Amino acid sequence: MLLFILFSPGLLMAQTPTPVLIKGTVYDKAAPQSTIPGASIRLKGSTRSTVTDDKGRFQIEVPSPQSVLVISYIGLESREITLGDQTELKIYLSSGSKALDEVVVTGYGTQKKSDLTGSVGIVTAKELLNAPATNALQGLKGKVAGVNVFLNSGSPTGSPRVLIRGLGTINSSSNPLFVVDGVVTENIQVLNPNDIERMEILKDASSTAIYGARGANGVILISTKRGASTEGVTVGYDGYLSLGVLPKKLEMLNAKEFLEVIRRGFENDLLYRPTATTHPVFSTNDRRLFDAGGNPLYDTDWQEEATRTAVSHNNQISVLGKSEKSSFGAFMNYTNTEGIMLNSWLKRINGKIAYDANPKKWLSLGMNVLINNTKANEAEEDGGGQSPRRSMLEMPPIFPVTWPDGSWTNSSMISDPFALESIANPVHVLTTQDRLRKLNQIFGNTYLTFHIIPGLDLRTQFGFDKRDNLIQNYNPTDLINISSPLGYASIENQHSFYWQEETYLNYNKELGDHRINGVLGLSWQERTFEGDFISAQGFSDNFFKFNSIQSASLPGAPSSSHDKWTMNSYFLRGSYSYKNRYLATFTGRIDGSSRFGDNKKFGIFPSVGLGWVVSQEPFLKDVKNIDELKIRSSYGITGNTEIPTYLSLGTISSSTTLINGTRVSTSFVNRLANPGLEWEKSKQFDIGFDLAMFKRRLTLGFDYYRKLTTDLLLDRPLPTSTGFGSVRDNIGSVSNKGIEVLLSGIPVRTDNFSWESTLNFSYNKNRIEALGLNGEDIFPGPNFVSGSQTILRVGESLSSFWGYRRLGTWSTAEAAQAAAVGAIPGVAKRSTERTVIGKGLPDWTGSFINNFRYKNLDLSVDMQFVYGVEILQQFLHSTEDRTGYSNGFKRTLYDSWTPQNQNTMIQQIRNGPFSGQNSEVDDHWAANGSYLRANAITLGYSLGQKTLEKLKVKNMRVYLSVQNAFLITSDEFKGYDPEATSYGDNQWGQNIYFHQYPKPRTFTLGASLQF
Amino acid sequence: MEIIKSKNQKNRIMKPRIIFLMLALALTSSCKKFLEEVPKDEITSGQYFKNPDHANNAVNGLYRTGAPQFYDPSGGIYSGSRMMFTPYISGYIDNEFKGQEIHAQYARNMSFTGDNLSSYIQSMWSTLYAGIARANTAIKYIPMTGGISDTQSKKLQGEAKFFRAFGYFQLVRLFGGVPLITAPYESQENLAVSRSSVEQVYALITSDLEYAVNEAGLSDVSMANNGSRITKGAAAALLADVYLTMSGYPLQKNTYAKSAQIAKLIINSGKYQLTQHGRNPDNSVMLTNTAYNKLRLADRSATEDIYYYEYAVGIATSTYSNWAFPASVTSETKFSVSTNAFAPVAKFLQGYDAANDLRVQEKQYFHSTLTRANSTTVTFDTAPYIWQDDEASFTSASSGKDFPVYTYSTVLLTAAEAVALSEGVNADAVNYLAEVRSRAYWKANIADIKAQLSGLSVENFVREVWKERFRELVFQGTIWYDIQRTRLFPVPGANGDIAFEPVVGHANAAGSTIQSRNLLLPISRDELQRNTNLTQNPNY
Repeated sequence: MLLFILFSPGLLMAQTPTPVLIKGTVYDKAAPQSTIPGASIRLKGSTRSTVTDDKGRFQIEVPSPQSVLVISYIGLESREITLGDQTELKIYLSSGSKALDEVVVTGYGTQKKSDLTGSVGIVTAKELLNAPATNALQGLKGKVAGVNVFLNSGSPTGSPRVLIRGLGTINSSSNPLFVVDGVVTENIQVLNPNDIERMEILKDASSTAIYGARGANGVILISTKRGASTEGVTVGYDGYLSLGVLPKKLEMLNAKEFLEVIRRGFENDLLYRPTATTHPVFSTNDRRLFDAGGNPLYDTDWQEEATRTAVSHNNQISVLGKSEKSSFGAFMNYTNTEGIMLNSWLKRINGKIAYDANPKKWLSLGMNVLINNTKANEAEEDGGGQSPRRSMLEMPPIFPVTWPDGSWTNSSMISDPFALESIANPVHVLTTQDRLRKLNQIFGNTYLTFHIIPGLDLRTQFGFDKRDNLIQNYNPTDLINISSPLGYASIENQHSFYWQEETYLNYNKELGDHRINGVLGLSWQERTFEGDFISAQGFSDNFFKFNSIQSASLPGAPSSSHDKWTMNSYFLRGSYSYKNRYLATFTGRIDGSSRFGDNKKFGIFPSVGLGWVVSQEPFLKDVKNIDELKIRSSYGITGNTEIPTYLSLGTISSSTTLINGTRVSTSFVNRLANPGLEWEKSKQFDIGFDLAMFKRRLTLGFDYYRKLTTDLLLDRPLPTSTGFGSVRDNIGSVSNKGIEVLLSGIPVRTDNFSWESTLNFSYNKNRIEALGLNGEDIFPGPNFVSGSQTILRVGESLSSFWGYRRLGTWSTAEAAQAAAVGAIPGVAKRSTERTVIGKGLPDWTGSFINNFRYKNLDLSVDMQFVYGVEILQQFLHSTEDRTGYSNGFKRTLYDSWTPQNQNTMIQQIRNGPFSGQNSEVDDHWAANGSYLRANAITLGYSLGQKTLEKLKVKNMRVYLSVQNAFLITSDEFKGYDPEATSYGDNQWGQNIYFHQYPKPRTFTLGASLQF
Repeated sequence: MEIIKSKNQKNRIMKPRIIFLMLALALTSSCKKFLEEVPKDEITSGQYFKNPDHANNAVNGLYRTGAPQFYDPSGGIYSGSRMMFTPYISGYIDNEFKGQEIHAQYARNMSFTGDNLSSYIQSMWSTLYAGIARANTAIKYIPMTGGISDTQSKKLQGEAKFFRAFGYFQLVRLFGGVPLITAPYESQENLAVSRSSVEQVYALITSDLEYAVNEAGLSDVSMANNGSRITKGAAAALLADVYLTMSGYPLQKNTYAKSAQIAKLIINSGKYQLTQHGRNPDNSVMLTNTAYNKLRLADRSATEDIYYYEYAVGIATSTYSNWAFPASVTSETKFSVSTNAFAPVAKFLQGYDAANDLRVQEKQYFHSTLTRANSTTVTFDTAPYIWQDDEASFTSASSGKDFPVYTYSTVLLTAAEAVALSEGVNADAVNYLAEVRSRAYWKANIADIKAQLSGLSVENFVREVWKERFRELVFQGTIWYDIQRTRLFPVPGANGDIAFEPVVGHANAAGSTIQSRNLLLPISRDELQRNTNLTQNPNY
């Protein structure tokens, strides 16, 4: 705390200000007729800044005529202007060779982009909202190399998964750390994307080490919108209306074909059960379903019936204001997002107020409060069961949605002995089932910054995040194979409260050729969680649902839980730049966490980053066409603490068990204590360069990294004869190596037409280096037929699929060999041992984004691709390998094994209910999961100046966009979308899917205006 | 504070300095307690076994962990319960979903190895040891529990030892000499334990059970009359079975006399009897109200069930009733899923005298027809009728019927065999076997049955007992254990007769050859990786 001595009251008594209002317009020197909208104007030596409006105009208040303004714009050379007595400015910017003055948020402060030694990706609000998004992570997808966002579901409640630079952990969370306005937050699932000003993605150790023990998976810093930067009040409206449709249907059997599969299956029963005394006989006598000729009366397209055109809208009103010493921003948003499956929706009302002030010369402060109320009817997405996303494919087409009297059908309502699987029809389920999720969130933070001496600030900030979740489920009494005949209701409350207090010093100083920047601070964090759950079965009717759960006759065991963790940390960052040429950053954090063993509470996470701006060297300075070349490298250690609490302790779990018809208390030791439990550590090396050429019209960023995670927080397998399956221990390691490339260019830039193009892609190679004490395989699930679908094995990639190889189908000539394994010709022929049959994490991901502008029209085309990945199509289990229980793919009828068609992977039609089936995980299910997607195509029109003046509007733009316009996949892939999981946030569920909530193709009409 | 309130310009400048100092003091004061972890929804090991309730809670948990879980559908409804795995090996029992439930397929094909069934076999092993570990904790700490009475302490230890012995009895029969762990793990010392001999494992089992039977003071009433807690009879039934099994392969320790003595203890206690058939006024057996149907319809039997695994609707719902119908007739029931996971194959049913054995008549032990409300009949592959719960099948879809593990039939048959082999074919032996057999041969006269049995040699008499075990105890899933200990494979012939042929080299009922290695299960590759001191069973 010696640094406080630096404080000197005298220095605060500075000169009395005489503020001056400066107006101006910024022009492009190359095309002097064109103004530059979006250029940044900053008062030098302060944080006060503004940007030019769409006509290139700005106004800014400056303290005195001696003030200096810095005007900058991406791709053009910045200029500094000393005002003197000018109050109306015309500023011409030219494309030059000077490095940019862009400022980057780096965690506990900002840095000039040119001074960065780390690898940081930046996404602005404009890029995030290029296409409408309900979820903040949707817009991030494809925007930053090395950041892989998996949008696995088309549901409005689907939660995207983010991986930065590969998966480097096994039993801990792989989510990056989300920091909203300096406050660590557990997820940004419900954050209104319209509230986001920019996102900084910290990828390498030099940038993440300031977050120490929580930085190993990368950090996403989110800055939300604040008040106006120019004086006055601006009112804005942003809104859209969108229509979502099912982009494609899978080719299922129609009613006639389905009956043929049943008939053929019955016919083949003899082959599979030669000794059985009775064989099923095909009939179509049920007159509710068949006419006298045996033809089906209905041919229901369940995909059509269970989906809809989803109508969604979003409205955001913002009021931004600024006066002499303060600014405010107030934002209100209402979003109503419909899913394309019936009755799935999300409604969110969201309010935010931000206030910033400089009441004293020595003091700045600000507050930001965000209130969020989200209600949703969530679509069930994990597991198999009889969820509608499955039954809309598997419900036999011979049934109508409702009988003529209006009552619902289900698959057991047939008198012919088809022995179908009990399926509640998907329209019935979607219409009558409740899966309500209600969230109230209050998020707030406030800061005080004391300007101690010029360049030295002390900032203290307090933030909190309070969330109350209410989860209400009701499954009616008539949903067969789901909740019939008893019905089921459950109510769950989850309350979490997180607070943090952080205080740090920030020092910025330029001394001749030397520039230093330092941060030193400390942090306290605490999170408490409380939950309770009740459920009941035995409802006499479907009136009360969860609203009067006491009316049910069979209450389930209630449960509740309490959980708390704390952290106490100290951090430090120093960066130094000499002659704008040689850069160095040292970062370190000491983190203490309650989650670790008594002896291992604290961990130290240091990093160093070095940079060399080669283009500033004399030998390159005058080279034409090279505007910037910076080589940078970093090395450091970050950690991962994201494990459940109390794992270092041996604790006793208590619950109830059944004895003598009632619940009695029981308890047992649930794990072995491990007082030595400590941090997971990631050592990361990064080397890269930034190159700008041809007056910055071509830029290239390149990074190579190696990340080795050691001391994995692993559920280390124990001999199960100990009574424990595993102990959480620090053992094993995983490596990730990869490259990231960001190439952007401006091939055309004229007065009327411009074309900007960005290609980014990344490659990541993941490998398990060590596991357990003896390199034991671990089978972490998710489990399906044949057990765990994945394996963790030394030498393999994480998320490796585990199964047999399908060698074909047994031919008639091979009858004898088939018999040896209990099979007959027509049945799948598989390897005897299981092996790795693919992996769910891609080698290559990337995007290609092109923006065109012609006069007032703008067009953006955003394409994304993934390459070098497999997808495990578990749905083939019931839509192909198993026939007769439920509906299946058309190809089971046309391409399956027959004595005439023996060279096929598809097994002979065999009636599951009578003749059994053969269905194991094998590589016939594993398809190439690569794809190319037209993520968003947006056409916009901005009103011209004259029209705007007539309308007395500052700015207005309308746009039309298509999201998910097309998708190209491999031929082997038979599902909706190869970016999928049916296992929620299961670490290993990526690209393993049983059935999927299809992603819509969305057409949007939107407008934004300011006045 | 006065200074801060002051409007004086100079003092106003002081304000920030004071704030900084206060902040500095407040925030840097080290606070070790802040990082301490104090769970509120779990207790830590130091707080356990502080009062008699803790001891009780520790034992309560044993009723549904470890060996008892073999009677739970823990692998999911299609896979059956783990109890069914060894019957699949015999080939006499099938699972209609074996096309996706590979353990059933590999068992019937005799192609299981520690690799291809690693996770299934590991789940058996780890389940058994999890129960043993919890029993070890209970056994160690019950005597140290504060405030516990000597009577309660012994009783609870007796229950815990019953469950530990039951776990090891399953392990030793399935895997041979396994690591013998008798104390709870409380640190990471000595985790990888090597095998003990089969004899050492049995020594622990018998000592635990001798304690439970003779010293623990367990109630000598039936389990149903004892609040569904372990009784002296339950421990004795298990011990009689243990001594009978020890006398056979691989140990061949002649403990028939002990088995007979313990079994007789149960029989002579007078607490148990076989359920009798309901009769018409003309004294003929009411086929809808036979002993088997009475047992089927009752939640549990207070007289015939000696040890059962409990179920109750809403707390632990049974799936055995879902296994009473093949998938082809699910839609005739209220069940979402019904599967013939324990399907007796035709060859097995030939082990019953089709004309004279009540058990094989339609709707006694098994069924293959269902009459709908409109009087039409649907036929299906033979499935266990004894598990068919009318209320669950046609109204609630939820069954709470308890699953009998040891019944009075088991004890009678154990006694008959053990007495014959230790005392000879005397009246006791004959009576015990005849009691079971005469209930099944409903048209025969018990005196005739006794007469037929009395004249038999010990060897032939024992074979008659084995035949009855084959038929009577099918739902207890003991068929493979009898094959293991006798090393003879039962082969049904004409009229329900059964021949016993050497097992090694014999084909099981699914036509797959049984090799000597198959008499034990392999250790899973998973456990071998975890415990490097463990060795694989021969020839796997």
